Amino acid sequence: MLSRRQILTAMLAASAALALPRLGFAQSVAGPDAVRQATDFVGGVTGKLVGIVNGGAALAEKQRALQAIVDASVAVDDVARFCLGRFWRIATPEQQKDYLRLFREVLTTNITGRVGDYAGVKLTLSRSQPREDGVMVGTTLERPNAPASPVDWLVEIGAGGPKIVDVIAEGTSLRLTQRSDYASFIARNGNNVQALIDAMKQQASR
Amino acid sequence: MRLPPFRPLHLLAALLLATPLLQGCATPPPADDKEAMEEFRQTNDPAEPTNRAIYAVNNALDVMILEPAARAYRGLTPAPVRSSVHNILSNLGSPVRLAADMAQGKPRLAGDTLMRMVINTTVGLGGVFDVATDWGYPHHDNGAGTTLAVWGMEEGPYLVLPIFGPSNPRDTGGFLTDMALDPFTYTSGPSWSIFSYSRIGATALDERERHIDDVDQIRKQALDSYATFRSLYRQHRAAEIARARMGDKSWTKPAWFAPSR
Repeated sequence: MLSRRQILTAMLAASAALALPRLGFAQSVAGPDAVRQATDFVGGVTGKLVGIVNGGAALAEKQRALQAIVDASVAVDDVARFCLGRFWRIATPEQQKDYLRLFREVLTTNITGRVGDYAGVKLTLSRSQPREDGVMVGTTLERPNAPASPVDWLVEIGAGGPKIVDVIAEGTSLRLTQRSDYASFIARNGNNVQALIDAMKQQASR
Repeated sequence: MRLPPFRPLHLLAALLLATPLLQGCATPPPADDKEAMEEFRQTNDPAEPTNRAIYAVNNALDVMILEPAARAYRGLTPAPVRSSVHNILSNLGSPVRLAADMAQGKPRLAGDTLMRMVINTTVGLGGVFDVATDWGYPHHDNGAGTTLAVWGMEEGPYLVLPIFGPSNPRDTGGFLTDMALDPFTYTSGPSWSIFSYSRIGATALDERERHIDDVDQIRKQALDSYATFRSLYRQHRAAEIARARMGDKSWTKPAWFAPSR
């Protein structure tokens, strides 16, 4: 059981956390304002995504527009560091730089490469929940000839405003899956981060 | 041509018995490397060398047989036909789903499954049309693996089963239980054998066809597809089980029934 003092302390900590972003710290407890902010943010981003995917522009034009959205709304470097896990600290500064650049490139190609597959898609906001590490904004994905499926967006609100740090499709997290892929690849190549960077170079050049 | 009698349990037992012959163990990292040790524990794949060998065989069989068959199936049949096939197969799986709903103490979900079975078998012409969804009884998946999880059983180490793919001891137990609970397992005679073989073939085609794009994507993007499938399987099951633990909130009340306030 929580004592009244503990609850008061928690409330104080929460309100302090809400005040922190202005000082440049990420907040630890997502309050109702953060939930609303994150939900509006995801609503805006998914609206733009759907608009581009279903729009009449040429493919190259759509890909450029998508890339702009990824750059503006995804915390790509944070996701990249998460995906490298414990190997981030083993990597040399040079390797870290290469890795971040390649990660952005591969992620962008993977996303923009699928524009055509998503024609006719519809995304509607469902339920948002505060999380320790941000806000989980729920959406429902509808595609022609496929049952509706849940897609959740994990949003962190940092100094630079809200950013997407993970996408969870039907319960599977993109960044967790990516991290286990990288971790296993590096481990099977003698714990050598350079092997991953070389493999990513190949992926990026395809 | 005469088909050998259909004995699913014999086939599975043979496959499971063959597994230990390939047994090999993953080498744990040195104990002083705490992070690597933690990762090893979380990955929970002590039989990784064996699993990888079985995965390679499964993958080769898929590339040579199942994937081309699924592509042909997609190419040769219009989407409504495939969706009818899927509905029929899903309807055949109702008794097993009903057993799981009941074993988990979910009367509303059990009611959904029962109503789906009754409506789709009759009005839906043997399951060809999924009328029940439109009438307010949506589909949900369930099975004995989830039941065991809800009852508190741990998943255990990761396993790759020959042919059947990603699993773990709990879900393998669930899979065998589902097979034992399936009324069609106990049918016999030549025409039932044909039925059972067709059902297995159709299930494999249906499942594979629905995942063509996802698997293509993983094969193209993953640097270690084995690890990617392992992670996806675990996460997907964890999400299903979390949903099953959430309770029995679905409404048995059909969509057309005016709510009384």
